[in-house]
Amino acid sequence: MTRTRPGPVKLRRDLTSKSDSDAVDATLAASGDAHAFERLYRGHIGRIHSLARRMLNDDEADEAAQDVFVRAWEKLGTFRGEAAFGTWLHRLAINLILGRRERRGVLRRRYLESDAVLDTVPGRRSAPETLMDMESAIARLPDGARQIFLLHDVEGYRHEEIAEMLGLATGTSKSQLHRARMALRQQLER
Amino acid sequence: MSDQWTERLSEYLDGDLTESERAALEAHLASCAACAETLAGLRRVLVRARSLEDRPPVRDLWSGIATRIGAGSRQRRFTFSMPQLLAAGIALALLSAGGAWLLHPGSNQVATEAAPLPLARAPIATVAAGAGVRGYDAAVEDLERVLAEGRGRLDTTTVRVLEQNLALIDRAIAQAQRAVAADSANVYLNSHLAETMRRKIDLLRQAAALVSAVS
Repeated sequence: MTRTRPGPVKLRRDLTSKSDSDAVDATLAASGDAHAFERLYRGHIGRIHSLARRMLNDDEADEAAQDVFVRAWEKLGTFRGEAAFGTWLHRLAINLILGRRERRGVLRRRYLESDAVLDTVPGRRSAPETLMDMESAIARLPDGARQIFLLHDVEGYRHEEIAEMLGLATGTSKSQLHRARMALRQQLER
Repeated sequence: MSDQWTERLSEYLDGDLTESERAALEAHLASCAACAETLAGLRRVLVRARSLEDRPPVRDLWSGIATRIGAGSRQRRFTFSMPQLLAAGIALALLSAGGAWLLHPGSNQVATEAAPLPLARAPIATVAAGAGVRGYDAAVEDLERVLAEGRGRLDTTTVRVLEQNLALIDRAIAQAQRAVAADSANVYLNSHLAETMRRKIDLLRQAAALVSAVS
């Protein structure tokens, strides 16, 4: 039987503290234990939902997060324990979310537009005396730059990995990241 | 304000510059207040990015997921062929003899599954610390023997994963046993120990069934 598995990823967050119990639950879930799978869901839904919310939007996040866990259930047989379950699930989520975005047909167009849009991103604030919330500032970034910023600075992927995921040149990933950071700096500190 | 170095500040932060580029940029930063200020701002962005808190959805999504995966109405399906299913059935019938160890009269019970693997939540009796595990140990030994004899028929990755998972469970059992030894009256700890031991039996039984299925 041919099996696929997610490629190696570097995560910023240490998932090892949960990895032992996750590995046991993943094994049980792979054999059909829905209760074990629910424990995995409870342990990871915050991270997965936050990822979906940031990379898509509030309206799509619930459905996307559900899709991630349903797909994880279907593919548990390919989880071999070589990486932490959280790492495996996270990569699965990234792939699904990017696929979802691609189906919307916005991905490549937004990257092409990013340069122009970034220069005109307004640094509006919710109140004159209040610094903008980081989540709101990220949400205001142009779509393509936002993905790269989230994948690199929030999720801990390397430019080479991001370039492969998004079908971009590494240099494009680097330049978009810099522009995203500069735009955020401007928004957060003006 | 922008100069040739401004565009390189993120690469500098990420350690992507060569040694000579880094040295040149640092020399520039010492004399360019604007770039130094920009760099400080970029650092603050990074710090805030790394301190973002995850938060769960407003509404619990589990019920929708449970419905979609069929949890509660059916258990997971293996995609074995009919001959494999027959072989697995025979294996499970044989393994139920191993399960009988768990029900051995006169010993404390550990688990009550006797046959075909209801892997989701079989009832578990609590187990007292250090007592009444003879039947469990014998069942484990029996199943481990089946696995040892058949491991050559499994691919090496499967064997490795099985061994890793068994090691994890053994570690969890040892931890739970130590906890129960320290607080033997604790119902939760006893229940946790029993649950962990049941997981080992479950995993071993699946592994043994897999051995038979691939024979």
